[in-house]
Amino acid sequence: MAATRGNILSTATTATAKLQKPAATEVDFPKFMLLSLLSKRSLEVDSRDSYGFALRPQYAQTYREYSSIYREEEDERSDKWSDFLELVVDSSQPTSENEHKQTLKVEPESDEVREETNPHRLSNGDDLSRTKFSELEEETYVVRVSEGDDSNDKKSAEGNEIIEETILDRVSKGDDSSDKQTSGGNEIKVGTIPGRVSEGDDSSSRNFVSDSATGNNSGKELHHSEERKTHKVQRWAEIRPSVIVIEEIFSSRVMKRNKMNGINGNNNHLASIEESEPLDDGLEGSRAENALVDQNLPKLFTRWKELESLVQGGVPKDLRGEVWQAFVGVKTRRVESYYEDLLACNESDEQNVSSAAFGKWKKQIEKDLPRTFPGHPALDENGRNSLRRLLLAYARHNPDVGYCQAMNFFAGLLLLLMPEENAFWAFVGIIDEYFAGYYTEDMIESQVDQLIFEELMRERFPKLVNHLDYLGVQVAWISGSWFLSIFVNVIPWESVLRVWDVLLFEGNRVMLFRTALALMELYGPALVTTKDAGDAITLLQSLVGSTFDSSQLVFTACMGYLAVTEARLKELREKHLPSVLVVIEERSKKGRAWKDSKGVATKLYSFKHDRGSLVEERKLTEGSDKVADGNLQSESNSSNLDEMLSSLNVDSELDSLDLQEQVVWLKVELCRLLEDKRSAILRAEELETALMEMVKEDNRLQLSARVEQLEQELAELQEALADKKEQEAAMLQVLVRLEQDQKVTEDARRRAEQELAAQKYEVHVIQEKYEKAMQSIAEMQKRVVMAESMLEATLQYESGQSKALSSPRAGHAHSPRFENPSRKVGLLSFGLGWRDRNKGKPNAEESSESLHNNGSPRKESDKQETNR
Amino acid sequence: MGCGSSLLDGDSRQLGRPISENGAGQDAKNLRVKLVLLGDSGVGKSCIVLRFVRGQFDPTSKVTVGASFLSQTIALQDSTTVKFEIWDTAGQERYAALAPLYYRGAAVAVIVYDITSPESFTKAQYWVKELQKHGSPDIVMALVGNKADLLEKREVAVQDGTDYAEKNGMFFIETSAKTADNINELFEEIAKRLPRPSVS
Repeated sequence: MAATRGNILSTATTATAKLQKPAATEVDFPKFMLLSLLSKRSLEVDSRDSYGFALRPQYAQTYREYSSIYREEEDERSDKWSDFLELVVDSSQPTSENEHKQTLKVEPESDEVREETNPHRLSNGDDLSRTKFSELEEETYVVRVSEGDDSNDKKSAEGNEIIEETILDRVSKGDDSSDKQTSGGNEIKVGTIPGRVSEGDDSSSRNFVSDSATGNNSGKELHHSEERKTHKVQRWAEIRPSVIVIEEIFSSRVMKRNKMNGINGNNNHLASIEESEPLDDGLEGSRAENALVDQNLPKLFTRWKELESLVQGGVPKDLRGEVWQAFVGVKTRRVESYYEDLLACNESDEQNVSSAAFGKWKKQIEKDLPRTFPGHPALDENGRNSLRRLLLAYARHNPDVGYCQAMNFFAGLLLLLMPEENAFWAFVGIIDEYFAGYYTEDMIESQVDQLIFEELMRERFPKLVNHLDYLGVQVAWISGSWFLSIFVNVIPWESVLRVWDVLLFEGNRVMLFRTALALMELYGPALVTTKDAGDAITLLQSLVGSTFDSSQLVFTACMGYLAVTEARLKELREKHLPSVLVVIEERSKKGRAWKDSKGVATKLYSFKHDRGSLVEERKLTEGSDKVADGNLQSESNSSNLDEMLSSLNVDSELDSLDLQEQVVWLKVELCRLLEDKRSAILRAEELETALMEMVKEDNRLQLSARVEQLEQELAELQEALADKKEQEAAMLQVLVRLEQDQKVTEDARRRAEQELAAQKYEVHVIQEKYEKAMQSIAEMQKRVVMAESMLEATLQYESGQSKALSSPRAGHAHSPRFENPSRKVGLLSFGLGWRDRNKGKPNAEESSESLHNNGSPRKESDKQETNR
Repeated sequence: MGCGSSLLDGDSRQLGRPISENGAGQDAKNLRVKLVLLGDSGVGKSCIVLRFVRGQFDPTSKVTVGASFLSQTIALQDSTTVKFEIWDTAGQERYAALAPLYYRGAAVAVIVYDITSPESFTKAQYWVKELQKHGSPDIVMALVGNKADLLEKREVAVQDGTDYAEKNGMFFIETSAKTADNINELFEEIAKRLPRPSVS
């Protein structure tokens, strides 16, 4: 343990701090977690959620709508959990019941205390000045449970006397306090505690934020500044006793796992780490451990079902860090000073075998640090230093994984919830065990999981997958990053944490699949409506990104997909692993490092065969190494006999191995060859199916293209038809109009014709009349002429008579009568006769009158004719 | 910026294949194109996409895990539209294991390096080779030197990029996602180089 770092602290543990009354074993966790450094200021900014994570602007509104729901849920689950923990603790610690009740009453005071204490949690003065903790309403309700528990613990240690003890006091206690508590003996679990506590205190000599300047809090009270230093000191911390019950249960699955691998002691574990076995550990371990989860744990813990439903309902915010640690079994995993040692070799150990690789990781980590939750208020310089240390330590711890992008987010998340070393061990548990083989160089398990997921999708949502196939979208395009990031940055944070709650509780990747399936269930129906690949993916991304209803998601996942179990996944894993191996081998053949496939071979072997002991395991690794070397020399990995012989030759140099070892090695070799054969066969099958697929897909694509084309043509034709119809209709209308017009004109014409005929007839008639009139006129004229001539003649006669006879009377009276017969021929005999009769009286006048009016007879005759 | 280059030799061989197989839409006027961005970690792949699609630049964008997707449609002068379906992949070396998932069937690959990092240029060459071996034979490849605004830190000469691109039948351009320099030009140039569905 680094004494140098302890020196920094010596100032921190001043007299005042020691004078403080030692309170309880419990260290107040939130004070050492980065998340606890969060303040109201992060909430004031619209673009961040209550965890301090950035909110995408398009979801900010929805988040605000949900935040009240989250708060309600949080209240509810806080109560449930505190009840549950109370019960659990009671059952193991019957005497503490009264104290529990009392402490619950103390809550308000605790809250006050908390407010008072908060400033000390900050790591530097800068934060201090920016923060108003009295505004921290958001946090206070969260605090309730922990405060309750804390004060409970406190009391179980101290008795009733210290109700008003502040958290400050509790935090600042030293070794003596833990001793005291232990001697108090109120805790049943305390048996294991003394060691742990002292470890904690040892590590406390390491400053959690050791890089930060500690002296910038100039204007503060001595008391407070010292408090703060004490806080920073804490890098490893135990979880509160109430959660320890859970921790004990879960630690059993970690311990069993270790035993299965023949690693009994911590030192062994450490050694094995250096021989790059953790990967194999993980694969073996998760298997063994799953059996434990399924069978043993529920039996071990009578309230298993209860706990399960609580976890599905969500872990309260302030308990989360500790409960997660309990689930992962951080305490059991922890090897004292291991983390420190990993950090210590930071500078000295660069000439290591893996130095090239390590340099690469280091570079990558540096690149990624500022790109991990950028702008998160807790990830300031100190936070990033913690993150860097954790990632570098892990890279050293497991060189098979080293550093892989995505791990930065997990480490960051864990650091927000727990002290640095606790976070490290939780991280180790998650990456080495739950996600073994996921983030390694070849990412083999990740690829296998995608194949499994696709199969599950086809099984559950055939229609959706068909549609995606039609659009040319591969499920893995989308789900790949879901799985690799364990939903971080994929769904809203509240939902991420809820999924992690269940995932860590179950201790395997089942929840990953269930959640992904639930998301597809929730959003599949919308996807089916999309028309092209881009739209489908964009839509899914945005829908998934707005999954604020975390309870709906978790319950859909947990209730809806009970059939997706670890056993089922294991089955599918075995089915899909070979095809992934084939691809990886293919790649490695094409000039990639041999190392990968060596790892694969080892893994493959470990999949199929249970090793009896660690010794054998070692030999296996060595054996594989040699095989790999042999193959490297012959520059091929095909499994023909020549090569086997050559590799045997290579190996025969190592005659120092005794016969038994050789037999073991040969067995291994045989196994490897069998595997090779099997994989070759599988590969052939795979290729065949792939070919079939390709052909099918080809056809399908062509067909769909054809169909689309035809559809388009059809549409065009239909459009043309519609156009034509329209035109026709228009023409018809025009025609009708024309017809009407025609009819009208025809009518008009007919009428005109009729009129014309009538007029013609009239004309005819008139003409006839005219002719007749003309005839009669001509006749009359003749007659007139005749009459005139007769009159003249008469006149001449009369004048002749008068000259000759002087008796005009007699002659005069006779003369008309004389004239009469000639006149009787004409038509005017009557008229003339009448005139003649009239003439008889006024003779003289008559003659003058008749001379005078030559036209009048004609006139009268006209009159007569018209009268006719 | 940028230099002329002929299309890939593979084009003539591939005339018989349906375009859709290549991730491009069939409609002669409205193309759909699958585009994949490859390149070393931190060269600015995500930034280029964000600049192109949203017109934003965030110097502290987050690490891409797996791959992320965005799409953007541009209109060309000849009144055709091109909808880019962009897959922005994770840069770390080991994610190369997953890259085939994304570049398979892509019509366009944009390979990005950082002009201030010779290492990223080497990595870009790795990607070019990988695509020549495993990508679609008629894939349109663009080599992009990003961070062109950091002239004083330049370590990869323009000529190096130009030469390499020419040798490999690629289109080359230097861009800056920060200043938006040449970003739209990059995508427009790609759009112009796309094989058009001739007669359908």
